Amino acid sequence: MRSRSSIEIRRCRPLLGTFVEITARGGDERLLARGIEAGFDAIARVNRLMSFHDPLSDVSRMNREAFPKGVFVHPWTWQVMRAAKRFAQESHGAFDITVAPLLTKWNYLPDRCYRFSPTSTWGDIFLRRHYEVFFCRNLIVDLGGIAKGFAVDRAVEALKDNGVRAGIVNAGGDLRTFGPDSQFIHLRHPVEPTRIAGAVRLRERAIATSGIYFERRKHHAQYVSPLLDGRSGRTVRELISVTVAAAECMVADALTKVVFALREEAACLLARYRADALLLERDGAPSWMFHSPCDTRDRTRFD
Amino acid sequence: MKSEFVFIALPASALIAPSAFAVQYLTVEQAQHAIFPGKSFTAAPVKLTSVQRKAIEQASGVRVLHDEQQVWRVSGGGWFIVDEVVGKHEFITYAAGLTPDGSVKQIEIMDYRETYGDQIRDQKWRAQFVGKTSKSTLKLDSDIKNISGATLSCRHITDGVKRLLACYEIALKH
Repeated sequence: MRSRSSIEIRRCRPLLGTFVEITARGGDERLLARGIEAGFDAIARVNRLMSFHDPLSDVSRMNREAFPKGVFVHPWTWQVMRAAKRFAQESHGAFDITVAPLLTKWNYLPDRCYRFSPTSTWGDIFLRRHYEVFFCRNLIVDLGGIAKGFAVDRAVEALKDNGVRAGIVNAGGDLRTFGPDSQFIHLRHPVEPTRIAGAVRLRERAIATSGIYFERRKHHAQYVSPLLDGRSGRTVRELISVTVAAAECMVADALTKVVFALREEAACLLARYRADALLLERDGAPSWMFHSPCDTRDRTRFD
Repeated sequence: MKSEFVFIALPASALIAPSAFAVQYLTVEQAQHAIFPGKSFTAAPVKLTSVQRKAIEQASGVRVLHDEQQVWRVSGGGWFIVDEVVGKHEFITYAAGLTPDGSVKQIEIMDYRETYGDQIRDQKWRAQFVGKTSKSTLKLDSDIKNISGATLSCRHITDGVKRLLACYEIALKH
């Protein structure tokens, strides 16, 4: 239990195109405030490096010059690119950071007039030594499906480095808890996002939920969403949500997209990352739940 | 307690009741201290003329909803502004610190309310957020503290800041 004398500070800033909230506990006010500042700094840095919108970001530089020259990027960007490639490989292309042309077409991303060849894929991305990224064909990458989770992980690291013992970093619904106490995390209702469908309890773990409630749009009389199956380019239209819990928020963030595309077939990959998954249907009830096998936690319990 | 990935469904009654999510992060004084630590503040509210209003709208491309802008002059230079934005699902009060040369120093969200559009249009509902004097760092409607699931985009804040920067150029700078 938390001691009654411990204070909690909670701050929120607009970053990564959403609202990022940092909660810090365990220490005096000065220490917590310094930790929170360092956490926001880390997130702002990821924002600068991986923004699709900022022409000076690593992502924009890659999209302009990785083909045919190759581009040297920040080690963090490299790390995310490497993870993205691994997720693409392991999900057989369901997770894909090269679907940006479709997102541009549907107005989820601004049109930067980059050149791309329609048949290029994530397989055309090569990561070389000294943090160099090279595309062997014209393609456009967008790290929107993974960078938010990575930013949360870096913020948690910064908070811990500054002596904060417990807290939560929540970047627009992708969050990670750290410290000795477990936390209740509520999940949005898949159809009515201002309502809560239920909760899970987490300790030292990250969770990410993907749904399309706020983002569904009409394009040529058909609904589209920024959630795509990289293999077919098919967009998610159902008002359901996928929640994944994992040790790292980047993993949770990326795996929600994989579960959306592969559903039950994602079980193998979830197990490999020791991740749990939950699929909520239109009525807010869970229709599928996966527990990673390699842990000592309680078995499934539906209340 | 250990971590357990067990889904706890809420009873149907909890689903029917609209559960607007709301957090108060900072009072005006706390936001001032967070953005400009150790400084003092002199209230310098701005009342925009219709000409200024139009000029701000033209320069920023964002509609100006209020003639009055809550502004403080910061000792040693700079400005502290409290502003609000209203979106389809949100009602947010935030503070912006501007450096003496008019660039953004820091943005802090003060109040975050997420709800249905019709509540936002309700004057009585909105009135409850005006003139808060609470000293607590955090106030919640219920026990719902952390929500997983895509939140709203911060586009309205980005637009709000654009409007404030235009307001600085037109009404504060000189």
